[in-house]
Amino acid sequence: MTNEVREIVRVESIVKDFRPGLGLRAKRVLHGVSFAVRQGEIYGFVGPNGAGKTTTLKILMGLIRPTSGNATILDCDVRETGFREHIGFLPENPYFYPFLTGRETLHFYARLSGVDAGRIDRRADALIEWVGLENSCDERMSSYSKGMLQRIGIAQALIHDPQVVFLDEPMSGLDPIGRKDIRDIVLRLKQERKTVFMNTHILNDVEMICDRVAIIVKGRIRHEGPIQDFLEDDEMRSDIVLSALPPEEARTLAENFSARVQRVGERVEVQVKDGQVRDFLQAALQSNAEVLSVTPNRVSLENIFLEAVEQGERAESAQGSEEDQES
Amino acid sequence: MKSSRRVWSIATNTLREAVRNRLLYALLFFAVTMIGFSVLVASLSYVEGERIIQDMGLASIRLFSVGIAIFVGIGLIHGEVERRTIYTILSKPVTRPEFLLGKFLGLLLAVWLQLSLMASAFGLVSLLAGAGLNWGYGEALLLVGVELMVIVAVATLFSAFTTPMLAAFFTVGIYVLGHLSRNLYLLGQESEVEVVKYTATLIYRVLPDLETFNLSVQAVHGLPISGAEVGWAILYGVGYSAVLLILASFIFQRRDLQ
Repeated sequence: MTNEVREIVRVESIVKDFRPGLGLRAKRVLHGVSFAVRQGEIYGFVGPNGAGKTTTLKILMGLIRPTSGNATILDCDVRETGFREHIGFLPENPYFYPFLTGRETLHFYARLSGVDAGRIDRRADALIEWVGLENSCDERMSSYSKGMLQRIGIAQALIHDPQVVFLDEPMSGLDPIGRKDIRDIVLRLKQERKTVFMNTHILNDVEMICDRVAIIVKGRIRHEGPIQDFLEDDEMRSDIVLSALPPEEARTLAENFSARVQRVGERVEVQVKDGQVRDFLQAALQSNAEVLSVTPNRVSLENIFLEAVEQGERAESAQGSEEDQES
Repeated sequence: MKSSRRVWSIATNTLREAVRNRLLYALLFFAVTMIGFSVLVASLSYVEGERIIQDMGLASIRLFSVGIAIFVGIGLIHGEVERRTIYTILSKPVTRPEFLLGKFLGLLLAVWLQLSLMASAFGLVSLLAGAGLNWGYGEALLLVGVELMVIVAVATLFSAFTTPMLAAFFTVGIYVLGHLSRNLYLLGQESEVEVVKYTATLIYRVLPDLETFNLSVQAVHGLPISGAEVGWAILYGVGYSAVLLILASFIFQRRDLQ
């Protein structure tokens, strides 16, 4: 008997090109994105702005069509609609009909989701309480704050008790209390054995609640794996602070050791892998640099994220210069 | 069953949105004012004052109801994409054709509601001015309703893939050409050049023949209107609108909602 966990969301080699205008060259925003989300986990889809997170989510929601590749949710092609009875979606900065009250909004989405007429009232009341909108559920949406819109957005996503919930930047623009409330809601979804896919660029939230993470940069997945791999990596890094190091020497050292270098005034901050510290220091001293400090650090999600972003930018500029040479 | 429930939910929501649009009330106010104004114009004439009231009243109803249909219809889909309300709706088990049909029906109900208010104002003004009403007016107004259905379907089609500005331009163009298409066809048949004849026929077949829905002259002059004529016009309007909606669904189905 196998103990395999079911893959609820499967994305295979998705490519998406956008044509900015008639006759203009298509721009590729997703370059063969692949990942899988397992049953019952909170999956963090992390990336900087413009990385392709929302485009990927829109493909999963059937709002845009991939140029090539396949995506399935609950083993159904995302272009179908029937399976959407089992999924919920909160878009980024959700907007609802301003002339409806919070309660009317939930009733409207419940009818669209196929909730039985007899169950709608009960379900709406339960969700209003769950997201903490008891005092404002009969006010028009036009009077709702951003945090309240986010809460009613989550409530509409859950109105039909879906198995899988997709959240696009659920914490973005919220104050610390609002973010904590949304985090608690997401954790409660996990307790209820729901699968949660969450687009975000707020790493702190990812570290706190996600089970697995994918980092996407410039339309390419740079890392994917369990959150522990990011947080409890045995690999240690050291932050080395130097002074009196000429910029050319700093660049050469960064290239030789694949290190991240940041110049802060007269000082240069470098992060190198632990096994390379001795060699790096020797090379730096040979370049007449002064070593101000060496601080060992554990690799964090933020480090991996920043590294992935830099890698992505380097890869893109290299590709750009190759294209320039070809033309 | 579930599908019709979803379509009806979207339709009633669209109706509710349209009913709360203050600009529509302004247009409705102008229409009713124009109908009332016809009494003043008729009082300036020595002859056929009743006909002037009713002719002008029917013309006002046609003009303003088409204006309302175009005004609301052109932004029907664009507004949903712009405000991103469509994202949450299409993430539910709602197909794009269901969404489009719901929006179409909602707007049509709103336009018909406005039409019935204008028709009531027309009837009231006619009665107060002592102008007689006959069944012909009822049939003429019924066909105005069918014409509005075609106009809403045209606006929905253009709204499915273009901006409100272009949709307005195209819909007004179709409305004007739709009223000329029969004359263009007849003119084309007089030509001795085959290509002109063929082109005129093609244009007539593709564009809606909106004069089919114009019974104003018969109603005002008390001329007989056959049931078959009305029946054919309804059938034609429903058929033409259905074709437009199928085409709109086909286009909308392939559209990326960015």
